[in-house]
Parts: sequence; C-alpha cells; structure tokens
Amino acid sequence: MKTQKILAWIAIAIGVIYFFVPLIGTFEFSLRMRRGEYSVDAYQSVFSDMQFRETFGFSMVMALLTIVFGMLLVVPTAYWVRLRLPQIRPVIEFITLLPLVIPAIVIVFGYLRLYNSSSWLPFTGSTSGTNALLVLSYITLSLPYMYRAVDTAMRAIDVRTLTEAAEILGAKWPTIMLRCIFPNVMSGVLSGAFITFAIVMGEFTMAALLNRPAFGPYLQLVGANKAYEPAALAVIAFAITWFSMGLLQLVSRFSKMAPSRP
Amino acid sequence: MSFLALDNIKKSFGQTQVVKDFNMSIEKGEFVSFLGPSGCGKTTVLRMIAGFESPSDGTISINGKNQNRLKTNQRNIGMVFQAYALFPNMTVFDNVAFGLKVAGKPKEEIETRVKEMLALIRLDHLADRYPYQMSGGQQQRVALARALAPKPQVLLLDEPLSALDAKIRVSLREEIRQIQRQLGITTVFVTHDQEEALSISDRIVVMNAGRAEQIGTPSEIYNRPNTRFVASFVGTLNIIEAIVVDPSANTVKVGDNTVRLREPVGALKVGDKISIALRPEAGSLSESAKGDTAIVGNVISSHFLGSVIRTKMDVGGNQISFDMFNAPDAVLPQPGEVLTLRFSSGDFLIVRD
Repeated sequence: MKTQKILAWIAIAIGVIYFFVPLIGTFEFSLRMRRGEYSVDAYQSVFSDMQFRETFGFSMVMALLTIVFGMLLVVPTAYWVRLRLPQIRPVIEFITLLPLVIPAIVIVFGYLRLYNSSSWLPFTGSTSGTNALLVLSYITLSLPYMYRAVDTAMRAIDVRTLTEAAEILGAKWPTIMLRCIFPNVMSGVLSGAFITFAIVMGEFTMAALLNRPAFGPYLQLVGANKAYEPAALAVIAFAITWFSMGLLQLVSRFSKMAPSRP
Repeated sequence: MSFLALDNIKKSFGQTQVVKDFNMSIEKGEFVSFLGPSGCGKTTVLRMIAGFESPSDGTISINGKNQNRLKTNQRNIGMVFQAYALFPNMTVFDNVAFGLKVAGKPKEEIETRVKEMLALIRLDHLADRYPYQMSGGQQQRVALARALAPKPQVLLLDEPLSALDAKIRVSLREEIRQIQRQLGITTVFVTHDQEEALSISDRIVVMNAGRAEQIGTPSEIYNRPNTRFVASFVGTLNIIEAIVVDPSANTVKVGDNTVRLREPVGALKVGDKISIALRPEAGSLSESAKGDTAIVGNVISSHFLGSVIRTKMDVGGNQISFDMFNAPDAVLPQPGEVLTLRFSSGDFLIVRD
C-alpha cells in the first residue's frame, strides 16, 4: 500500500516536472531582457507593440464570431438530433470528430481550392470574404469540442420532456428554444465557447494560409525575429488558455445545481 | 355527449401496432385511470390525447371538437410528467406562470392566478425557490400547479407518482384527487400501480397489448373482472382449474370438492374444464363464517405479512392462497395440516380468456 502511494507520488512528480519546468524556464527567460536583473521589459515591449494589439484584437473578434456562429449551428443541431433524429447521432458524431483526424492544413487547402477567387463562391476574393472563411474554418476546427459540450449539457436536462412540457403549455418553437432549452444548456454553451476561444487565440495554420493578421501568425513572426518577447508571448498565451479553462471549471461547477430530475 | 372521446384509435410504429381499436368516452369532470403493464399502450394513448403522437387511425375529440389536426400547443391540455419536467432555470413562480405568459395574459392576471395555484398546492411560501432546491414531492406539486394554471380542458397525468417514495405517493395521490374534485377537471391518469388506480379513479381502463380489456368502476374491475388478464393483473387472485359436474346446477369439481357456482357456467358440458377465480380475502377458516361453500386442502406454506397471514394450500393440484387477519393469538397453519376453507359461492368468478 505504502509502495503504491510512493509510486503514485513519483508519477505525479515526473508529470509536474515534465509540464512545469519548461513553463517556469520560459517564464524565467521572459524576465531576463534587462541584463543582470529580472524585469518585465519583454512584456512591456509586447504590449506596446501595435502589431500585438492589432493581431490580438483581430483574433479576439474572430473567436467571438466563431463562438456565436458555431453555437447557432451546434445548439439547434444537437437539439434536433436528440429530439427528432436520434438515429443519425452516430453520423453527426463522426462528422464532428473529423476535424480531429484531418490536419488543419488539409482542411484549409481544401477551402482554398473550393472557395478561391475564381471559384463559384469566391470567399477569398475580398478581405471580408476571407475573414468569413476564416471564421468558418475555426467553426470546423472547434466542432468536436463545441458539439460534445452542448450535447452533454442537453443529456443532463432531458431535452425531450422539457420540450414536451413547454409545448403542452402552449409554447411554440422559438419560445421553447430561447426560454426553455438555451438557458438550460448555457453551461455547455459556455464550456464550448471557452474551449473555442482558447483554440482560436492560438491557431496558426488557417490564419497563416489565409493570410490574415491573427495572433497565431504574429506569435510565429515574433518567435522568428526576437529573443525574449516570444517567451513573454508564450506565457501570455498560456495565461489566456488557463483563464479560459478556469472559467470553464467555474461554469461547470455552477451547472451542477441546475438539473431537476427524480 | 361525452367530453373526451376516443373513437377507434389505432397506432402503429412501423410494423408494430401498439394501440388497437381503442374506444373510450370520458365525461366532464371524470377521473379515469389507464392501468396496465409496461408496453400495453397506455402511455401511447395519453400521448395521442396530448398531441405528441398522432393516431394512425381514429379520432380524438374534446368537447365535440376533433383534435387530430391540432398541434400540441393548440389543444389547451395540461400534463404532468413522471420526470416532473420543471424548467430548471426558472423559479417555482415562473414555472407556474409559464403557460400564462405564453398565452399572453396580463401581468396582474398572471400574478393572481399563480398565487391561487400555489395556494392550492400549499407551496405559496416557496415561490422563489428553484426546482433543484425542492424535494421530489414538492416538484411534482409544482408541476401539477403549472399544468392547471392555464385552465386546461383536460388534465393528463403520466405516471406522476412513480418517481416518489411510498409515503409521499399516497399523500400526493390523495391531494391530486382532492384538487381534481375541487376544480372538476376531466382527468386521465396513467399508471401501472393497481392500488393507485383503484384508490382514486371514477373509472379504470385496464389495458393489455394495445386493447382496453375492461372499462369499469374500481369495484367492478376488482370484483367482476371480465377476463383472465384483468383478474390476474388487478389484485391477487387464485385461478383454479375445475371440471364441470352438472351444468344445470352450476356445480364444478375442484380436487375432491364439489362446489356450486352462483354464476351460470353457460354452454359448458359435463367434464369440460372451467377456470374459476377466488380472491385470497374471500375465504375463512372459522366454522362460524357465513358461507355456503367449503373446500378442503393441505397447507403448503404460511407467511406472516404484518396485518394478514397468507396461507397457501393445495386443492387437487390447484394452489389456493387465502388471507386471515392477524390477531395477537393467531397461530400460523403448519405445512401438511388439513384445512377447510369456507366462503360464499358468490365469491367464485368464472374467468373467460
């Protein structure tokens, strides 16, 4: 028993060292910009860089649009699959898992072939069109996480009975969706939103190949040309992800109060 | 004219017909229970009344108006679900007010009606609570208030007590019945619990394999079951295989005992087999018991069940159970003991398949 406990602690220690030492190293390195002493000069340099603000802002807007349009696609889909088309559930699950197996570069090349400026739907013919295509790419990329988060939340509330309860009280579809279903899957929606946010903020391949000024390509650019700033940016990117994950935990803790079942 | 009429209702899912030629007329203010085992079609009939399923054939009408083409949200029906189905994001007040808000009622009217409903279920002090902060029984009472708030034409109860513990189940079913009487609302109650159905219904529909086997008052269903299924499903019943001895005198033989039936055996001949039923509570061991019939058998086993002692005895290959009330000085019959069970010939029922 005691040996098992010691082995467990050793495993945890190895894990902690493996994950945290590089992070601590990066953080420590990011503070060394000024010779001979620790400083936050690298962070100041990053935050004062106009390009940082632009790319960060751009990715933020893209992330928000991805969340809004992604949810508009995912919530009704998950709802209908649960309510009316449970037989196509395996198909939907398979489709939503595809972005995990197909590399982002393959997806974006597919998009470029289909939606280039000389195609029948020339998304890349204009800046706004390319931005729209980028949002659609991000929606594809975040589909596995968004769908699962929303679907799990729907499983927890017994969508069918709630829909029937609302229906027999005279409610029509928009009311049912907006007042009975959506507020009750909010935890799933928010979980999906935070994961999506974290993914979009650090995404490189799609933004770079579609030539959009996003945060991912900026990270790469700075990494190739500067010494201390990339370390600071890496720490910032981690902070964003962890903040999103923290919010996710908070939301799922609150959602435990919600279900009303026998 | 009946208030809720179900005429020749049929329902098929693919090749499987789950409801077969179902006919039923329910009067205004009547409390009718659909009783039957799982898969007998009782919930499907209820769901067709609600509009969640549409009949493959037949018509459903309420107050003379055909409901078949109306959507669920156009029928003005209240329903309480087994799983409560309260909206978790809304308080008790908002849950009860939901139907009224959807109907676009004025704010003052909504407030008055919700308060009235919460007073009816005696939960007016919990108006600000959320469903997760309440017990199962309280949640189900809120679900009842929510269903009644928009003043529905018909109230449907889909096994509303199944998820509750035994004590609350009894008190809530009495409360439901009292509220139903108070409001005079036509109610259809689905249950697989015979005690529930017998205790609160005006009439019971015993369903089996998609058909109504018998429709009658609780007393008729219990005391005069029409079919073997009804006899075996409602209450505990001894089914005894007997041989006709004299059709003109209605006498049959059970083991070595010849007994006279009050009900005519019909067209059966001497030597024909006949199934007769006897309730466990009908017989008595007392010699002073009023009864014109007696059968003798050997005790197989005897069990103390608290208020009663149930004894099983063998009579010519038939196992017959009978109950005696418990008393402090009661002695349990011992296996192998020979007993004479006395009862009235009117207690025997002829069972038809």
